[in-house]
Amino acid sequence: MTVRAEKKHGTRIRETGADRVFNAVNLIFWILVLFIVLYPLWLILIASVSDPDAVLQAKVLIWPVDFSLMGYEAVFQYAELWGSYANSVFYTVVGSALSVIVSIAAAYALSRRFAGKKLVNLLITFTMFFSGGLIPIFLNVRDLGLYNMRDIMILMNLVSVWNLMVARTYIQTSIPNELYEAAVMDGADHFTYFFRCVLPLSGTIIAVLSVYYGVARWNDYFTGLVMLRDRKLYPLQLVLREILASLTSTGSSDTFFAAYADNLGGLQEALRKAEVAKYCCIVVSTVPAVLLYVFMQKYFVKGVMIGSLKG
Amino acid sequence: MSLSVSKGGRRKAGLGRRITMTLQRDWQLWILLLPALAFFIVFCYFPMYGVQIAFRDYKAAFGITGSKWVGLKFFEKFFSSYYCGRMFANTFLLNLYGLVFGFPIPILLAIMLNQLKWNRFKGFAQTAIYVPHFISTVVLAGMIYLFFSPTNGIVNHLLVAAGGKSIYFIMEPGWFRPLFIGSEIWQNAGWNTILYIATLTSIDPQLYEAATIDGATRWGKIKHIDIPHLIPIAVMMLILNCGSLLSSNTDKALLLQTSGNMAKSDILGVYVYSVGIAATKAQYSYASAIGLCLNVINFVIIMLVNAISRRMSDISLF
Repeated sequence: MTVRAEKKHGTRIRETGADRVFNAVNLIFWILVLFIVLYPLWLILIASVSDPDAVLQAKVLIWPVDFSLMGYEAVFQYAELWGSYANSVFYTVVGSALSVIVSIAAAYALSRRFAGKKLVNLLITFTMFFSGGLIPIFLNVRDLGLYNMRDIMILMNLVSVWNLMVARTYIQTSIPNELYEAAVMDGADHFTYFFRCVLPLSGTIIAVLSVYYGVARWNDYFTGLVMLRDRKLYPLQLVLREILASLTSTGSSDTFFAAYADNLGGLQEALRKAEVAKYCCIVVSTVPAVLLYVFMQKYFVKGVMIGSLKG
Repeated sequence: MSLSVSKGGRRKAGLGRRITMTLQRDWQLWILLLPALAFFIVFCYFPMYGVQIAFRDYKAAFGITGSKWVGLKFFEKFFSSYYCGRMFANTFLLNLYGLVFGFPIPILLAIMLNQLKWNRFKGFAQTAIYVPHFISTVVLAGMIYLFFSPTNGIVNHLLVAAGGKSIYFIMEPGWFRPLFIGSEIWQNAGWNTILYIATLTSIDPQLYEAATIDGATRWGKIKHIDIPHLIPIAVMMLILNCGSLLSSNTDKALLLQTSGNMAKSDILGVYVYSVGIAATKAQYSYASAIGLCLNVINFVIIMLVNAISRRMSDISLF
């Protein structure tokens, strides 16, 4: 007991008055920041399980009012939303898997020395600073015969230069070059070394890339807006746009809700429930992305930091 | 002697032989590189070749290379159009204000986070400030529509309760920039701390210990250790951001643009989309010309800022 107490006092330099004031200010600062960050999210959660009338009168401020799940029940009726949900799951899972594979392979290649590397680097980084622009990109996709196809939702934005650089830096800094030399001594070629040594050691960066690519794809609506015409192929975000951003060019979101009036007790009742259902739509569409982040978070902060330094 | 001969011999070897040699030795690397390279060529460099339609009168029947040359016709049309000046001003000011207000906040957050003593609270705070980044643009716009609704939004209810008047935020031109930039900061300020936090954690702890022994306060350590370490990376981020002063977050502006706030929300990126893609009779060449203008200007700005920064402070992207 006494030893511990002594240690505590012995190794620590006591904080000065100025520092204690600073700490208090900092704590207040962070409580304020966290309130600003988290309160809107909390508001959505509690509104999604409250009664529509309470939500419309803005009575839901701290805790759900007249707890009800009718918003979620209504959301389950929106067949078009769930169709697009399935599309988005497909685009995200297949697309991100492909993105990660292609990026890791290229990142490994760019971490080695070979003739022509400078040219390849230039070719890739240049695309970060200059692009053909929206219309030439659109016409190119149309000329390739990919307009209004599922494939374009996978192929568009397949590789991000930034992610590629992060992965390359990670491989360069966290896998020692001695390992490569030893592997070559044992007769390994690039394929063997890549598959047997680099990939097993790249768990962290694979996790980071999966989150980056996965979230970007899940949240993207612009690609679908430009490249798709067929409503059956729409990703989730494009349908959400009709539900949530009701003042934009597409017209009122009421048309969307009215389509499901028969199963929800008439038009008036359907529109009443829609007021809460909007919040529920936000919850069901955002939870996958946030969960992915929270689960991967352990690798995430570490991996991002290693990759971004000296980037 | 023999060495120099072989060296001379190798130098004489033509480009063709050098290529075969690297292919012999490193063909596996090229195979690993191939899918990514193919993507960049097909989806980035093909459109750069296709950008020539800005100088042609594009007709789908003749294709990109078959349409008639018209020179700078579409550029002239754009620069003499009525809303051209307004759109340039709107785009530039939206990005400039976004930079002025949005740029310092992540640095402030990183410094203050680094000073938090309680590790659990620190970890929680760091996790929490990243969360809004994972929300989609559509949902963010939806949240703005819901919270700032004139009839049943929470903001207006609080305004009225406080004795104010209800404001139709999303229809007011004057509120477009505050909403756009404010939500941008809410969503990304936390996320943008990553680089700065990484820089701060890489500072040698001995520096802080020495400062503590010399009697430095926390504020003194921030001023004399943290900030000097953050300046190079901050300048680099500033250069990068300057490169997008005329390119805008088109997808977000598209969601927040309403018939009411056009005076401020009418920006170039949205205009390109609406005349080139959304219009029933899309003007491909005209829209390409505008897009090309923007890309060239952005490119020139980033090169200029980079060169100036390299001259003045030795900090540059390349």
